[in-house]
Amino acid sequence: MKSHPIKNSLGIFPKSWSEEHAGRIPGNIPIWVGILSELTEFGIFFAAYFIAKFYYPDTFAQGPQSLHTSLGVTNTIVLLSSSYFMAKAMAFIRVDNKIKCERYLWFALSCGVLYLIIKTWEFHWNTLQGFSANTNEFFTVYYYMTFNHFIHVGWASCAILWVIFRLRRGAYSSTEHSGLEALAVYWHMIDLMWILIFPLLYVLR
Amino acid sequence: MKNPIKLEYYLAALIVITLLNTFLGEKFSSTTLVSVLIAITVTYKGFIVIDHFMELKGANKNLRFLMRLYFVIFPSLIIVSAFY
Repeated sequence: MKSHPIKNSLGIFPKSWSEEHAGRIPGNIPIWVGILSELTEFGIFFAAYFIAKFYYPDTFAQGPQSLHTSLGVTNTIVLLSSSYFMAKAMAFIRVDNKIKCERYLWFALSCGVLYLIIKTWEFHWNTLQGFSANTNEFFTVYYYMTFNHFIHVGWASCAILWVIFRLRRGAYSSTEHSGLEALAVYWHMIDLMWILIFPLLYVLR
Repeated sequence: MKNPIKLEYYLAALIVITLLNTFLGEKFSSTTLVSVLIAITVTYKGFIVIDHFMELKGANKNLRFLMRLYFVIFPSLIIVSAFY
């Protein structure tokens, strides 16, 4: 049976999207299908935010003042740092420095876990203040967005553990690290979503 | 490894912008100018992560276009929402 010369492609995209024409695809195509699906999902969340803000401007002007801004800022810095550590891990696998690559993956994982701890504390703090998803439209959108994002950070943190396990088993090298890169771009996507969520919920009045 | 220092600069810039945005939001009540500034900085932060952390600069131009477009559309809605 004759094999098709399609490398790293599902063969379902136009030719102009091929790596030969448009440039290298970081990671692999399946992870990008996932990323674009996630972007659509979060796009719906953001659309819901803007529609709700249009109908309840006063609620959305007061909402951010009820939140623990310091925790939101801290989590933003934690996630930005995690993205930096992930980028460093990628840089080190490209030069076959697996020890430093693993070290930076652990740093990224630590940031992910720290984010989850801070976010859990923030949810608890909200509860102590008497806020819940039913408080008003702002908090409905707040929990809708942040809890979904929380879940994404959770499973992506588990994926980092898996990648560290694979790295230790010798699955990645300077020439073959598409699995690691796929996780890296997914992790950056999660960071990007928080970059949008943070000002919408914590900063804009 | 190319430009090993650069990533640190980008991280520092992202953190400074985050703190600046928070300061603007905390110290100045809702104004159109604050919303515009925040929207611009969100776009800038997104572009930095897309180009330098995600490494789409110099990679697939369609994916880069889509990702950057996302960070033009939603920050633009921030500006639109300032006029509600």
